Amino acid sequence: MKALKEAFSALASLRLTVLLLALSMVLILAGTLAQVNEGVWSVVDRYFRSPFVLIPFQLFIPEKVARIPGVLPFPGGLTLGVLLFVNLIAAHFTRFKVTWKRSGIILSHLGILLLLVGEFVTGALAEEGNMTIDEGSSSNYVEDTRSVELAVIDPSPAGDDLVVVVPQRLLERAARSGQPVTHGLLPFDVAVSEWMPNSTILGPMQSTEQQRKKADAGAGLQIAAVPAPTATGVNGAEVDAPSAYLTFSRGGKKLGTYLVSMYLNQAQPVDVDGKVYQVELRFKRTYKPYTLHLIDFKHDKFVGTDTPRNFSSLVRLIDPSRNTDREVLIYMNTPLRYSGDTLYQSAFKQGDTGTILQVVTNPGWLIPYISCGMVTLGLLVHFGIRLSGSIRRKAS
Amino acid sequence: MSVLQRLFPWIVGLLALVYVAMVAGRPEHTGEHWRDYARLPVCADGRVKPLDTFARNSLMQISGRQTADFDGRRASATEWIVELMSSPSKAAGRNVFRIDHPDVVSMLGVKDPKRTRFAWSELEPKLDELLRQADKAEQVSAKQRDPYQREVVQLGHRMSLYARIAQMQTPLTVAPVGAGEDWRPLADVVRDPALSDQASAKSVISILAARAKDDTATADREAAAYGSALTAVFPGMISTSEHETLFNRIEPFYQSAVLYVLAFVLACFALLARQSVAGGTGGWFISLNRATLVAIALGFVVHTLGIAARIYLQGRPPVTNLYSSAVFIGWACVPLALVGEWFFRFGFGNLAASLIGFATLVVAHNLSSGGDTMEMMQAVLDSNFWLSTHVVVVTIGYSATFLAGFLAVAYVLGGALTPLLRGEPMKTLPKMVYGVICFASVASFVGTVLGGIWADQSWGRFWGWDPKENGAALIVAWNVLILHARWGGMVKERGVAAMAVFGNVVTAWSWFGTNMLGVGLHSYGFMDSAVFWLVSFCLAQLLVVGIAQIPTTRWRSVLPPRKPLESVRGAVTPA
Repeated sequence: MKALKEAFSALASLRLTVLLLALSMVLILAGTLAQVNEGVWSVVDRYFRSPFVLIPFQLFIPEKVARIPGVLPFPGGLTLGVLLFVNLIAAHFTRFKVTWKRSGIILSHLGILLLLVGEFVTGALAEEGNMTIDEGSSSNYVEDTRSVELAVIDPSPAGDDLVVVVPQRLLERAARSGQPVTHGLLPFDVAVSEWMPNSTILGPMQSTEQQRKKADAGAGLQIAAVPAPTATGVNGAEVDAPSAYLTFSRGGKKLGTYLVSMYLNQAQPVDVDGKVYQVELRFKRTYKPYTLHLIDFKHDKFVGTDTPRNFSSLVRLIDPSRNTDREVLIYMNTPLRYSGDTLYQSAFKQGDTGTILQVVTNPGWLIPYISCGMVTLGLLVHFGIRLSGSIRRKAS
Repeated sequence: MSVLQRLFPWIVGLLALVYVAMVAGRPEHTGEHWRDYARLPVCADGRVKPLDTFARNSLMQISGRQTADFDGRRASATEWIVELMSSPSKAAGRNVFRIDHPDVVSMLGVKDPKRTRFAWSELEPKLDELLRQADKAEQVSAKQRDPYQREVVQLGHRMSLYARIAQMQTPLTVAPVGAGEDWRPLADVVRDPALSDQASAKSVISILAARAKDDTATADREAAAYGSALTAVFPGMISTSEHETLFNRIEPFYQSAVLYVLAFVLACFALLARQSVAGGTGGWFISLNRATLVAIALGFVVHTLGIAARIYLQGRPPVTNLYSSAVFIGWACVPLALVGEWFFRFGFGNLAASLIGFATLVVAHNLSSGGDTMEMMQAVLDSNFWLSTHVVVVTIGYSATFLAGFLAVAYVLGGALTPLLRGEPMKTLPKMVYGVICFASVASFVGTVLGGIWADQSWGRFWGWDPKENGAALIVAWNVLILHARWGGMVKERGVAAMAVFGNVVTAWSWFGTNMLGVGLHSYGFMDSAVFWLVSFCLAQLLVVGIAQIPTTRWRSVLPPRKPLESVRGAVTPA
């Protein structure tokens, strides 16, 4: 019992708070420096949302100055967040009594707890994607530019296409294991002979014959894909464009090795015993219950420059399930919030022919607003009480 | 207090006022008629601005200063650019290209090692070689370039800017007067004679033609007439342009920096006066301290007017880029430090206010060499309520963290190495540091959160782990860490001070370091020499943290006074 009490008081101690804050600072610094060579999302996943991370020493010293091998095992953001959470709750149970003088501190600490919860909810539940719409056409799906899928399309049913998709995760696993992806809904087995997380395309004149020999059917006969370093930074403009060499077979009979790539604009036909399927690699799609129709896209630039001044999309929002059919103007800093989604003006297609909207689904989006209000109010109350005390002391 | 002591602050205030009035009313170096040229609106980088602003920014980029050397006479930027546009061959002889790297200088075949500015006519014969070198260096990524390559690349950019001005490609000088017209460069008119019917094209051509023939009187008349004609079409444009020209001429941030230096000198004397009197509050101390306050107040008024003028000219919140953040951080620190002075009244608040005010303006000046400091913003950075409040509050948070850091530096250096803080200051200075840290915690937290709200409003991500966001988080975390360490009794006055000094490193990293990484939506671009200054600054802070490890019992402000100076000197000097 005594040991338990000691453990609890250690968990509630201010020393632990200071230690955790210091560790968090090291983690945040490392997570910032890591973004020089790595994409922000992989950094967020590896550093800030994981229980544990290996930090290379080289991050802290430029390679020009010295080369240092080795890694530092370090608690990840998840571990530190949970520990801070526990530390804070334990502290309030053991030390703090509810008094007026303490009200500010308690309020702001509750706000901090809520902030930690909010970041956890965002990490677990939030989804982001892009909706690209050409002027005069419509879209009802969101693309996640951070992952791709292989779509096998059967255009034969009248009126609709029958689409089976293989997620990136399974393609990567198949590339590692050498085992083909099989499924009852797929018309053929998919073996991944080469997977490139980011790639560049070499045209007929740029690629060697040997590179073109990797494929024996489809677009890969003319062009070849080679691996490229994955994108870094957070500008969003740099998106990885994966490519892969896939071998399709049915019942042990090989149908051909195809090159699929994000660089290819058209699906490729694959003939399976006389029935033609269309195959393409595309950004992972999520279908929405509503449809947006782009009526007009406007883009102003500053005179004599390419710096965008303003852009806006006039869209028609159609949702039969909710009896909605109305026009909405989406522009900078003025998103559309609809059915749990928020749609922001994000970018545009070259030549202003279409708009790119960022679509965010985050059930916890309100949490930071509330928690920040609580912390701010709490701090103002606390320091206000202290300051008025010291001014009174000075006056007397 | 003696009469002189009573009057001294008034005298200082009066002299400073006279200085400000003289600066505001001083004529141009090269005569009144250049004003008619200076105010003419041109368009560059997406913004309509006076020719004067464009000329100053271009000359700043090419030459590193805002005036040109015309055979020993200082010519205004406007005079330089008008000559470059009208008589390029004459302008080619002016030494305006700043080159520092000795290898680049020797490539030009110049033997004089003291010269740092060179003329186009000296560069032109080596043009092919220079461009070849610049081209080679461009292929190396910006971070990998050595000083020679950086200089060559920069020189390439400067020469290209110079050439584009001489060829009338930039700025856009032909104003849209009629319906359906757009801002155009004069080069377009040369290419397409149909455009020369445009009224403003005619005017610009006649001005430049007259100047080319050295017909100054006609050119001056035409320039004045063109300005008046534009006033009739766009009533606002010329008057805004005139205000901006006035702003350029007065250079309010330069003037307030001068006043802060004056205040700093006075504050140092005040501290010395305080020291020379036992008990610490002699008449001269009070008198000098008041004079310091007067100088700071005047500097602050000019500083404020400058910021207000920028807000008016730009129609935007005070912080829009790194340059304006430096100006604003200084502006926010000064009153904060004065509040500290009001609380404790022993001169250190004044010292910090004047020093930080001056230092941040120097930093801002060095950041301005990149071009127009009132540049247009990307659409996503367009102002809205959350963004405006975010930048203002978070900048105040940064300011306060710096202020705490500098007060702590004063405490550590002044206390450990000098006897200046003996007595009351040794007790009150740490209190000031602590109070400022409390304020900094609130401001940096609230500011960071407002940034999150803006991000959520703008692209639906409250927090994105962007380098600049992480920098802000580090500042908040460090301030909060200091407070908790103190509340937990882990550190006392000396420890808080040492940690506050390290806060300078954290803040400098968030303010500048993150920009040097070259990633993130908040990055304003990679800055070369800034890396050197940042590293030096951080090392200096770490040195102070090291000094703070000396136990207070051995600090000079705590130890009993040493023997009088004379006896020490007598012991050292050989008889």
